[in-house]
Amino acid sequence: MDPIKESLRSFILAEYLLGESPANLTDQTPLRTSGILDSMATLGLVSFVEKTFGVMLDAHETGIDNFDRIEDIAALVARKKLGQ
Amino acid sequence: MIPLGTDLNTSHEELQQAAIDFAKDALGHDMIERDREQAFDRDDWQKCAEFGVQGMPIPQEYGGLGLGILPLIGVMEGLGYGCRDSGLLFSLNAHLWTNSIPILIYGTEEQKTRWLPPLCDGSLVGANGASEPDAGSDIFSMRTRATRRGNEYVLNGAKTFVTNAPVADLFVVYATIDPALGPMGITAFIVERDRPGLNIGKHMEKMGLRTSPMAEVVLEDCIVPIDNRLGREGRGVEIFECSMEWERGCILGSFLGVMRRQLEGCIAHARSRKQFGKAIGKFQSVANRIVDMRVRLDTSRPMVYRIGELKEQNKTAVLEASIAKLYVSEALVQSALDAVQIYGGYGYMTEQEVERDLRDAVAGTLYSGTSEIQRNIIARSLGL
Repeated sequence: MDPIKESLRSFILAEYLLGESPANLTDQTPLRTSGILDSMATLGLVSFVEKTFGVMLDAHETGIDNFDRIEDIAALVARKKLGQ
Repeated sequence: MIPLGTDLNTSHEELQQAAIDFAKDALGHDMIERDREQAFDRDDWQKCAEFGVQGMPIPQEYGGLGLGILPLIGVMEGLGYGCRDSGLLFSLNAHLWTNSIPILIYGTEEQKTRWLPPLCDGSLVGANGASEPDAGSDIFSMRTRATRRGNEYVLNGAKTFVTNAPVADLFVVYATIDPALGPMGITAFIVERDRPGLNIGKHMEKMGLRTSPMAEVVLEDCIVPIDNRLGREGRGVEIFECSMEWERGCILGSFLGVMRRQLEGCIAHARSRKQFGKAIGKFQSVANRIVDMRVRLDTSRPMVYRIGELKEQNKTAVLEASIAKLYVSEALVQSALDAVQIYGGYGYMTEQEVERDLRDAVAGTLYSGTSEIQRNIIARSLGL
């Protein structure tokens, strides 16, 4: 079990998917393009990632390509931590 | 005077009373004519600065008074009660919450030192450029572009509904560094009025708040140095939402004052106006309207001061601000309608200065997020 992915999943379920079954939020579930995260929620998730994992995200790293699915976000975090 | 609640301690009540006395004495003269002419009163703006209004939430080291948010809401309530120029109060609120506060919270030390003292002392008027012709409630679909070029950004786009634009000296403008990034591309910039490429467009005539000037702002190859960027690239949404949270909470303080003034005026009118041989307040249909006005005021006050209490504790008040904005702005419209009805035909006449409060009140359900947007925010908090 990837701790980064589980941390992201717990945060998203608690903040933006109240009452949703954890099984329905997979690593591949689109978050922004599906409407689960609106602009403020996306910003909240970016702030959570920066604070929780101690990384700084550039604006260009928070586009749909890098920041729409848990697996993409976790991969981005891993790359950033590797580069520190 | 309708008694205050228990939201303010003694020193804050004294401050509020000072604001009432100041507003009654110094502000809001010749309102019928200035409303008709859509005339902003720069002298009154300066008087407000000398009283300390523009510096209320700004720390003393940057030229302000460093007031906490609770006394600040109390002063706003006092100004709403004592000042009949709701347009001036709206301009002051736009200046404070969408220009000074973002610079205070997100600005660099150099930006704060440079801009906050003149924003406090009245020599600069602040404005905020966020809405666009095709980006109103859907604010983050904005098209204004900020293109990075070395140590500069080039801004291109058009902003609309910019309060204070015709008289403003300093703008906080939002633009996207890349539309493909969606909301995460929105970035805030400080733009001086005299910067080449910033042009004030047509003056926008409004139904109410007519003494608060509004215009479009056009940015055409407007070059701003990187030092004018406010906060990080792509974090404009956070700055904008912070502005809205402050504005939604604090502007409502002045609504409370207006509601108190209306209520007292209606009570006095209902006692003195006689029809069918007795004071109209003795008719239940009139008395009940006044009772409803009182109930709206008393249910609105705790909502507004709760925002202040939360922010004094450094807690977020996004939800509480939305609930209060929705309820109090719509309560103000209903009470203003009731006031017109209580005054009857005279209430519909400009000379009575009752109908203007109604025209001014309607805007409250639109700016800082419409009532519909507030409901969306509240629904989101419920997991819907």
